[in-house]
Amino acid sequence: MHARMQGLSIQPQHQGGNVSQTTFNPKKRCADVCMELLLLESVHLYKNRGAPAASAALEAIGMRVGKQLAERYTKDRPRLGETLEVIKFLCKDFWLLVFKKQVDNLRTNHKGVYVLTDNNFRWLSRSPPISSAGGDPSQEEALREVALQHLHLPCGILRGAMIQLGVPCTVEADHKLSPPACAFTIRLS
Amino acid sequence: MTSACTFVIVGQLDHPIYEADLTGPKEQQAQYLHQFVLHASLDAIDDIMWSTKECHLKTTDRFNNLLVTAYVTPGNSARFLLLHDGRNDENIKSFFTEVYELYLKIMLNPFHGPASKIMNKEFDKKVRTYARKILGL
Repeated sequence: MHARMQGLSIQPQHQGGNVSQTTFNPKKRCADVCMELLLLESVHLYKNRGAPAASAALEAIGMRVGKQLAERYTKDRPRLGETLEVIKFLCKDFWLLVFKKQVDNLRTNHKGVYVLTDNNFRWLSRSPPISSAGGDPSQEEALREVALQHLHLPCGILRGAMIQLGVPCTVEADHKLSPPACAFTIRLS
Repeated sequence: MTSACTFVIVGQLDHPIYEADLTGPKEQQAQYLHQFVLHASLDAIDDIMWSTKECHLKTTDRFNNLLVTAYVTPGNSARFLLLHDGRNDENIKSFFTEVYELYLKIMLNPFHGPASKIMNKEFDKKVRTYARKILGL
């Protein structure tokens, strides 16, 4: 899973030194749909194993992956100094490389809480939008629960990345917004 | 002419995750001294690290005739320390850059924990090869 995530997020590298190359040089790529199916299946798998473990397991996987992605993506960039720079790196470069776009809104209360809002979160793009006007409230709740389960993994990834870059924190996902919009709250510890 | 040279990678929790004595076999006393000097230089590196945006920190500390040169990874997660006697400064930069690439590959290994020591023999071999090629040891 880690290798797949990293393989999908990086651009294909130049394979130098390969002597017998024909003119057709297929760069190694993986279809995006594989990633989406992998994410769906991983949530499904851990849900079937037992609900209490699911969120913890997904967050733990996310932390591992987040740490390694952070290590990888800071490679040729200038050094990150204070917390705000780390958050900016997260919102711009990291989000771009992992979720193919930048964060739409960043808010802070200057006391160690940051809220990152993404109006079109890539990993929730297949979820049905929850209409706030009318509709069955219990059904809405159920849909929100499902959306929340899919957010454990991205929360873990963000948390792992922040910790690796030297900022211990906790990350929560806000499932009050209608998917595919999504907000992540980072609390510095 | 023997030149003293020890290379250490220090993790986020200030513990060495990799050590290599890059010169030939030496007596025990000098090895302990090298370790001690490198450990002591962590304070100086900490000071300099946060006052500059550079990854390559020049000579950060000295003890008698030994110099400690350091490099910080862009994500501030590891520090590379080289204890030497000040003969080839230019090449140290390229040495650190090469080792950074190797370090990244180790870090991306899913079986390598965040604070575990680097026991990989290939890594060790490559570091020593680079040391021979670039630093001329």
